[in-house]
Amino acid sequence: MTLQLFGLLVEAALYTILISAISIVVGITIGMGVASARASSHRVLAWPARAYVSFFRGVPLLVQLLVIYNLLPAIGLNVPSEVAAVAGLSLCTSAYQAENLRGGFLSVPKGLLESADMLGLTPWQQLLRIRAPIAFRLTLPAVVNEAILILKASSLVSVVGVVELTKMAADLANSTYLPIQLYSAAGLLYFLINRVVAGLGAYAERRLSWGRR
Amino acid sequence: MNKRGFLALTLGLGLALATSVSAYAEDTLAKVKAAGVMKVGTETEFAPFDFIDAGKHVGLNVDLFDEIGKELGVKIEWVTLPWDGVLPGLEAKKFDVVAGPATITKARMEHYVFSAPIAEATVALMKRAGDKSIMKPEDIAGKTIGEAKATAQLTQTKAFGDKLPGGVKVKEYVGFNEAYADLAAGRVVAVGNSLPNIAFVAKQRPQTFAVVLPTFGVKTYFGYIGRKGADDASLMNAIDAALVKMKKDGRMATLQKKWFGVSFDTPDAVTTPNI
Repeated sequence: MTLQLFGLLVEAALYTILISAISIVVGITIGMGVASARASSHRVLAWPARAYVSFFRGVPLLVQLLVIYNLLPAIGLNVPSEVAAVAGLSLCTSAYQAENLRGGFLSVPKGLLESADMLGLTPWQQLLRIRAPIAFRLTLPAVVNEAILILKASSLVSVVGVVELTKMAADLANSTYLPIQLYSAAGLLYFLINRVVAGLGAYAERRLSWGRR
Repeated sequence: MNKRGFLALTLGLGLALATSVSAYAEDTLAKVKAAGVMKVGTETEFAPFDFIDAGKHVGLNVDLFDEIGKELGVKIEWVTLPWDGVLPGLEAKKFDVVAGPATITKARMEHYVFSAPIAEATVALMKRAGDKSIMKPEDIAGKTIGEAKATAQLTQTKAFGDKLPGGVKVKEYVGFNEAYADLAAGRVVAVGNSLPNIAFVAKQRPQTFAVVLPTFGVKTYFGYIGRKGADDASLMNAIDAALVKMKKDGRMATLQKKWFGVSFDTPDAVTTPNI
């Protein structure tokens, strides 16, 4: 495999990183909102959050991508390929992140919230200053795990016309007849990217751990 | 999809995204000319029509559409999808026309409009170079061959195989390249595809592949695909006019020679396809 081919793979890998990074950040943000809505005692908040999670967790990502890309124009939303890809990845991962974070919300010690009540913190303050930070800290390993999963799942977005790492490897393999080398190189690149993500996760865990504070 | 989920999806997208609302009931040619850009959908795993060479999208389609773009005075923008997503994308108005090309068939003509033919599409087999057990198409009787799914070539090869003693087993792949890879690996004995495609592949890799002649089945042609309906008629007519003009002044034949090694004698339009 020539340096030129590898360069093209690296370029595609950067694109994979870009769309995955946006999706991971958007996904965690939406997931945080959905998880806190689900943990809420208000039924108006909890019920839609539950429906959201069951839908986006229950429908395969591939189907979600095709629906967003092909079905939405029927109702007047003709989203371009890149938007469809990021939207599909973000919505899907946010449902999983919401469930991860909900586990964290459930693990916040009751006593802390009672103390907060006694101190007169509003429910909003309690969410931002106590429940969310604790939930995030407790669920960080699961959140990073999901980030890695969605990064790998980004290989599906070629069905809506986005050329990312896997699709580039396939395209190049088809014209150069070097499938083994190209797919191995693509696999190696995914592995390296995920090593970095896992490393960042481990670093964040160390920084946020209780012992050091 | 349930109503609740659809609502959530719609709301979620509406909130999260800035979207372009496409205008409906508007003449596609006028829209294309106003934008100065014609969007063309295709797959990039169908050499020599569309493929990626050293990271660049090249092929007969790219050259032909460059010329069509010149005739219409617009730029060409490519949208590449896997083949089974291309026609749904056309219906969803993701692009104005589909390159592909696709074999012109009766079933497809019920749903789509085809341009003037750009090449012959009659099917032949490709085998491993040096495989003496397959010297003519009938030799695949009782064996396993590879095909790409959702293609007219698949239908034709199946029909041909069914008539042979013992029939043939057909393995269906996402695309022809996967079928070629399994042919090289020995998992199938042959792949049936249109002659221009396999002739190109065999020419690229003479050590691995060889074409089995003659072609079989009925004579078919490749054309570009557009939407049916009044809005799109003007665009498809303009593309047809450009293609017929290129046929007359020899540009079409030059490009066919460049990509296939031969030029084809194609009719100006196919109104009743053979399949």
